[in-house]
Amino acid sequence: MLQIKNLHASVEDKDILKGINLEIKAGEVHAIMGPNGAGKSTLSSIIAGNENYEVTEGEIFLDGEEISELAPEERAHKGVFLSFQYPVEIPGVSVTNFIKTAINEKRKANGEEEMPANEMLKKIREKSELLEMDRKFLSRSLNEGFSGGEKKRNEIFQMAMLEPKIAILDETDSGLDIDALRIVANGVNKLKNENNAVLVITHYQRLLDYIVPDFVHVLMDGKIVKTGGADLALELEEKGYDWIKQEQTA
Amino acid sequence: MHKELVDVERVSLYKSKNMSKYTEDDLKVELENKEYEYGFYTDIESETFPAGLNEDIVRAISKKKNEPQWMTDWRLEAFRAWQQMEEPEWANVNYEKPDFQAVSYYSAPKKKDKYASLDEVDPELLETFKKLGISLDEQKKLAGVAMDIVVDSVSVATTFKKTLAEKGIIFMSISEAIQEHPELVKKYLGTVVPQKDNFYAALNSAVFSDGSFCYIPKGVRCPMELSTYFRINQGGTGQFERTLVIADEGSYVSYLEGCTAPSRDENQLHAAVVELIALDDAEIKYSTVQNWYPGNKEGKGGVFNFVTKRGLCEKNAKISWTQVETGSAVTWKYPSCVLKGDNSIGEFYSIAVTNNFQQADTGTKMIHLGKNTKSTIISKGISAGKSQNSYRGLVQIGARAENARNFSQCDSLLMGNNCGAHTFPYIESKNASAKIEHEATTSKIGEDQVFYCNQRGIPTEKAIALIVNGFSKEVLNKLPMEFAVEAQKLLEISLEGSVG
Amino acid sequence: MELKEKMLASFMAFEEKIKDNEDLHEVRNHAIKNFENKGFPTKKEEAWKYTSLNAILKNDFSVFPKKDNAIEFKDVKKYFLHEIDTYKVVFIDGIFSSFLSSTTHEGLDVCLMSSALTKPKYKMVIDTYFNQIASKEESLTSLNTAFSLEGAYINIPKSKVVEKPIEIIYFSTGNEAALMVQPRNLVIVGENAHVQIVERHQSLNSNPVLTNSVTEIFAQKRAIVDYYKIQNDVQTANLIDNTYIAQKQESRVAVHTFSFGGNITRNNLNFYHQGERIDSTLKGITIIGDKQHVDHYTLVHHAQPNCESHQNYKTILDGQSTGVFNGKIYVEKEAQKTDAFQQNNNILIGDKATINAKPQLEIFADDVKCSHGCTIGQLDESAMFYMQQRGIPKKEAKALLMYAFTSEVTSSIKIPELKAKIARIIADKLGVKMGFDL
Repeated sequence: MLQIKNLHASVEDKDILKGINLEIKAGEVHAIMGPNGAGKSTLSSIIAGNENYEVTEGEIFLDGEEISELAPEERAHKGVFLSFQYPVEIPGVSVTNFIKTAINEKRKANGEEEMPANEMLKKIREKSELLEMDRKFLSRSLNEGFSGGEKKRNEIFQMAMLEPKIAILDETDSGLDIDALRIVANGVNKLKNENNAVLVITHYQRLLDYIVPDFVHVLMDGKIVKTGGADLALELEEKGYDWIKQEQTA
Repeated sequence: MHKELVDVERVSLYKSKNMSKYTEDDLKVELENKEYEYGFYTDIESETFPAGLNEDIVRAISKKKNEPQWMTDWRLEAFRAWQQMEEPEWANVNYEKPDFQAVSYYSAPKKKDKYASLDEVDPELLETFKKLGISLDEQKKLAGVAMDIVVDSVSVATTFKKTLAEKGIIFMSISEAIQEHPELVKKYLGTVVPQKDNFYAALNSAVFSDGSFCYIPKGVRCPMELSTYFRINQGGTGQFERTLVIADEGSYVSYLEGCTAPSRDENQLHAAVVELIALDDAEIKYSTVQNWYPGNKEGKGGVFNFVTKRGLCEKNAKISWTQVETGSAVTWKYPSCVLKGDNSIGEFYSIAVTNNFQQADTGTKMIHLGKNTKSTIISKGISAGKSQNSYRGLVQIGARAENARNFSQCDSLLMGNNCGAHTFPYIESKNASAKIEHEATTSKIGEDQVFYCNQRGIPTEKAIALIVNGFSKEVLNKLPMEFAVEAQKLLEISLEGSVG
Repeated sequence: MELKEKMLASFMAFEEKIKDNEDLHEVRNHAIKNFENKGFPTKKEEAWKYTSLNAILKNDFSVFPKKDNAIEFKDVKKYFLHEIDTYKVVFIDGIFSSFLSSTTHEGLDVCLMSSALTKPKYKMVIDTYFNQIASKEESLTSLNTAFSLEGAYINIPKSKVVEKPIEIIYFSTGNEAALMVQPRNLVIVGENAHVQIVERHQSLNSNPVLTNSVTEIFAQKRAIVDYYKIQNDVQTANLIDNTYIAQKQESRVAVHTFSFGGNITRNNLNFYHQGERIDSTLKGITIIGDKQHVDHYTLVHHAQPNCESHQNYKTILDGQSTGVFNGKIYVEKEAQKTDAFQQNNNILIGDKATINAKPQLEIFADDVKCSHGCTIGQLDESAMFYMQQRGIPKKEAKALLMYAFTSEVTSSIKIPELKAKIARIIADKLGVKMGFDL
């Protein structure tokens, strides 16, 4: 589904990613872990098409199509979803209005009719219940005055509404208390099926207790230095990242 | 708060179709039409006075309209005052001063004395209305917005007169009112905006050729939105309409006003006066969507919009101004409230958008004279292109205005680095019990906001529209529903191409 | 003779008397011409909309005070920061008092404007700085420039941290029936240098005084300047204070203005940015009553990227007093990432007090954070009641609330002795003995 080949990227002439190779198949959950500054968030921004980062080498394929030249919204229309580490506030734009616009833009891009209002409402109700969101929440301005937990829940709510092929969860666990974490993880698990995939980006193993990955990759200094199963995350939690560094230099 | 009557099915001012069915495709078509949408010129046989202004022209206008002597004298008095006045220069706008002798002060679609029915209206004119999206036929069928339409300077159609008459509501062109209700016109005309109030008001008082008149009797809630639609059609003319709205004790009316003009290379002059009188316990809600031709991308042409709007509140009365200003090359406009009566309330909600070379200097004056008077000012300025957008406001608390309250919020949004946003609030209080809060902010649309929208599949242009609408929401919410939709679209169209 | 005519006539005599170099002569003549064209400002001018000088200008001010008006230190000790050691530049009726002063040339110059303007060794400095940032358009500044002769000249060399505060005090003795003085101060703070300055104008009896003061401050790269203005004069004294500040990159200048006295006080405070990452602070407390009038007119001109400005003015008006706040933030197109903030809070206590506020923003750059807030209101009644319930008498409760209201400004005074002095003045103004720690 998502295939990344020899990806190099820089921001303001500083090399951040130095040759990433990654393949995620439909139905899989991958986790990328790594110390601060390893390039985790850069990778997610680049997959989503943030123009502040420059791809200097390499390719990104979605279902066999090279997407690294596409605009962020075109990637979104094709099914790339990024749950932001720091979701931005848009004052005056309600959650409902925002998601309605996003869904209809996607449908328009894919040559589909707009979603009828009643269907939209039904879906909004259904998905907001999944994330245990208050109805009042939906009429509030997007992310404005939201608590950390509310912001992250709102991200997963949008993911549920947009039904992406590949969902990238960038540090979704940061700022979440245990209850919110459970709700968010539960939401993600319910949305997961054999036709989509999830890429979890995290510093800690905590979220992976709830969203169990098939593969864990360790990203250090712009490269994937180690890949393993779910137990690799536990090992990292226990030993920290230094032992990998030592393993590398050894 | 007043609830809208549910049994009245209202229609949009501009579009006769139901707005809720307005689709993205419609929007797309509209967005593709980047040039000024209403920029067509209708070839109607019209009668236009020669250019220039002197006492004879003033008399001729008055005569043409078959006005009584007192009205002619009133105009002449204004004209003489105007001759002594100088065009104001304090506003933060730069433009070539119009040559007031090069303007024709009267232009009317040629017509028989009066239209008995719509069938008699010039078919070309009806076609114009269709292009504007106003189908009078349809309007007639749907019990909807009662509307007065002023093309160039003359009122051409007032719908629903009959329905309104049953409630004792008078809604007609001001020239008709001068004929039919001289006592009301005489009593109130010029009481809120005196002839000599300012340069443009004086000019208007001398030469106004038409406009709307509305009177709501005691205790009557006007069952529908009243609306006036203004259009400058003929080249080389100015439009000087005069609107007078009187809400008698305990009455309520919501009034809508829309404006367009053809695209022309020359600058056209619009100098209107609107006077509102809210007697004890009355409420007037006055909404404007101003979309005069703003000039082209190089700043050529466009309407000079110099407007004096003011309302007077008696005891417990309330006047609420809501405006969406997207058009005109130069706007000079300060809808104001004189809060004379105790417990009276004034409100001003404004969105002003400037793009390309537009200049807007707009705001409000809240003059607190009575006790326990309250005012609220919410102003949203959006500047793009090479435009200049200024808020200018005055909150004045008189020595006798015990417990006066004001809240003002002025926010500016800048798009691009070639425009300017300016805030000039004047706050004057002579009463120790006054409570005034004023806040102003300036911000831009964040790249991170746009990227966030992009990531959710919303293209940049649409994202900007969404963010701008969000920024303006507090004001958009104050507009009647159909106007709000129209206004949102106008915001999008006005800012087209402003983000690279 | 009208004061304007008198000034013009006096200028001829003045020019005769002093022996200027050619450059200075040029500057003065240019300035007097501007004043001649414009005259004293009137309410018709937007900048003077809320302040009228008409009544003051009717006084028959003497323009050249007589010499030798000595005063004893013990009589004026309270006007000094006498608890600590300071440099002092003191003037009596516009004339330098060497007796009361404590100047220096050791490692820094704290001396007289008259020497700087006349002695050849200062010529280069004068050519570079004098009248460079002061307005050449504003008529009262021009009037001062034309008559510039005396004042404080302070020049701090590179990397010098001045250990002692510098006090600049202008006394008027009232030996003249009515006196007009025009002090001119020049402050140059070198790269990375740091200085604290306190300026005060004080009349010693109730004969009318009109002070038209101009101060130019140049803060070089990374310089830090703390400037305090104490305006607690008798109610027959009038002050027009024009301060112009030019800041180079990464410099930090803070001006605190404490306006508690005088008849009419007008503060024109102008900041001009000439580099990046500059920090400007403008704070003020105004507490007046009776028919006093204080007008703050501020401008922060952001011309370079990444600069900050913070304004915070608190006003308490009693009696029939009038307060004016006219603050402008101007952000040029180049000044991206500007962070400019302006706050003006006013409390009206007197039934006949008037406040006029005009906080303005003029923004030409898009990526900026600019805001202003302005409030007019009363003391919080529930807080009053709360304190009264706990046994604090109403008067003290009121004073405590008012003191709290001003604390955002007093808290940033960097000289402890000055902070205590200001607190005492505030307590005195509020008419209470503060039982609490200030």
